Amino acid sequence: MRRKSMIQINKVKKTYQSGETRVQALRGVDLEIKNGEFLSIAGPSGSGKTTLLNLIGCLDTADEGTILIDNLDIAEKSRKELALLRREKIGFVFQSFNLIPVLTAFENAAFPLSLLGISEQEIEDRTMGILKEVGLEEMAHRKPAELSGGQQQRVAIARALIKGPEIVLADEPTANLDSKTGQDILELMEELNTRHNTTFIFSTHDQMVMEFAHRLVQLHDGKIHSDQLTARAPDKNTVGSRG
Amino acid sequence: MKFIVNLAFKNLFRHKRRTLITSIAIAVGLALFILIDSMLVGIEEDSTRNLVLYETGSARIMDTQFWEEHQNLPLSHSIENPQPLLQNLDAAGIKAAPRTVFSGELIMKKDPYPEDGSIQARITAVDPVRDPEVFRIAESVSKGRFLKEDRLEVVLGAWLAEDIGAEVGYPLTIVTRTKGGFFQTIDVDIVGLANTPNPVVNRTGIFMPLETADYYLQMEGSVTQIDTNLPYQGKINEQTDKIRSTALKNRPELIVVDWKTLGKDFVALAATKSASSKVILFLVFIIAAVGISNTMLMSVYERVREIGMLRALGMRRHEIRLAFLIEAGGIGLIGASAGVLIGALLNIPLVNTGIDYSALMRDADMGYRITGIMRGLWSVRTILTAFFTGVFLSVLTAFIPTRKALRMHITDALRFQ
Repeated sequence: MRRKSMIQINKVKKTYQSGETRVQALRGVDLEIKNGEFLSIAGPSGSGKTTLLNLIGCLDTADEGTILIDNLDIAEKSRKELALLRREKIGFVFQSFNLIPVLTAFENAAFPLSLLGISEQEIEDRTMGILKEVGLEEMAHRKPAELSGGQQQRVAIARALIKGPEIVLADEPTANLDSKTGQDILELMEELNTRHNTTFIFSTHDQMVMEFAHRLVQLHDGKIHSDQLTARAPDKNTVGSRG
Repeated sequence: MKFIVNLAFKNLFRHKRRTLITSIAIAVGLALFILIDSMLVGIEEDSTRNLVLYETGSARIMDTQFWEEHQNLPLSHSIENPQPLLQNLDAAGIKAAPRTVFSGELIMKKDPYPEDGSIQARITAVDPVRDPEVFRIAESVSKGRFLKEDRLEVVLGAWLAEDIGAEVGYPLTIVTRTKGGFFQTIDVDIVGLANTPNPVVNRTGIFMPLETADYYLQMEGSVTQIDTNLPYQGKINEQTDKIRSTALKNRPELIVVDWKTLGKDFVALAATKSASSKVILFLVFIIAAVGISNTMLMSVYERVREIGMLRALGMRRHEIRLAFLIEAGGIGLIGASAGVLIGALLNIPLVNTGIDYSALMRDADMGYRITGIMRGLWSVRTILTAFFTGVFLSVLTAFIPTRKALRMHITDALRFQ
């Protein structure tokens, strides 16, 4: 079965003002990402990875071009609508975990469901369920300061997935972890991608991380340099590729 | 909403020391407000009572011309034939006491006095039977006794006696003028010393029997004023209207003046002191506001990245703002609760025992009608005002730091160091 197109990026450009200098972060990017892909956006520092991730995540808006998410043009959405889109359909995993230090692992993971007005019982059930999936059901009542880096990132992944998003965006998710822990995190993300059919898009400049992706999109100087499936891709016929 | 409240509550104890210090600043400010207000209200309440019960009565009936020239105490403009007025007031259930106030010179001779001397004085002639129904001078006599009718005797204020070296039994000579303007000398004996809660009475009070003054001043039954006693917490206009309608029918030459007008110096002073005290209280609040504003500023700026994350995950600005405002309100609640508790606890001895300022009040005329003990007064309204102002102020001062941080672009907030 062919996967549907989840994200369509068309001739997108983005420029930033950095002091007195204007920096063109993206110079015309075309990219199509299908539902359920496990995709890495790779490139050296300053290549535009984070910018592209921010645009897909509706955290920023493009200067030129269009971005369609599930056939919705996000440029036409108001700030409120974009916030609701993020609330319901997009999960984030940050490089430095960004957990709320005063909340427990359970409360951090459950927080996105609190924003959706779901009943307490359902929140309890779903949160324990997702924590179990990431292997942290025993740590539910610990605060982030009582967890290792890897455990914190697992909580962050649980938080990203708990609402059943269509897309999870991870900006250098293993950058603050040692290689063994980083590998564990990537395996977890791959497993969750398979289980939930959630589209995973993560940015990296780490070779090990690139090798984990099923599809590798290389950015260089704000443009796509290459886009190809990797050896880990499960089925070449059901994912988008330009390689 | 429950999540927002939970998050705000937990963030309250994120930096316990900071929360504690800020709460203490609010608590101290509010406790001071409660105490100062209690003291001021207590002093005013006591002063008002002492003014009415020892000096002015609730309202005073006088000849209009006498009132216009009251600084000179013109006996020629007195109330003629006051008996029907008194009867009308009695019939209406209004306690009333006739008085004649005149000026004169008090002459003291060495032996028994420490030395020869004289002072200008204001003498009040009272009806020893009716006067205690309006004023409390009689029950304040601490040495000797109160006046008896038709005698050549006086009761002095205790501080006046001390100043001139007088004791019960000492003689005094009063040199004055009659209603017709003729010089008159009255030799009297001091029969009592009055130690009242009103410093003006203690410092200047000289009382003699009305009939005696009537004879020597040739008043022919007239008096300079009739003082009345009505509940002083009542509405002034209603009180004066009642007196006017009761006693002053067919007496167009007479006027009714309420105690606030009679005690204008005290009323003005109280207003001035109250205003300046409110300024001090305002400054106290400013200090507390600066404290909490600084705390919230620090809280917001050290959580900019967290705010970015919350917004990235779909939390709206107003929801994040609400979390911070609830947090600030929580600090305000802790501070306000502590402030009210501390203020109330410290107010207990202030109300029950008071602070003894008698040494200061003896020689310094502060304008308030109290002689020594300054007592506080309980005011539920003040306590509630302090509490809710503390909470409200905390929320208000958190608004600006929060607003600024929320204006930041999400991606900038996520990168914030």
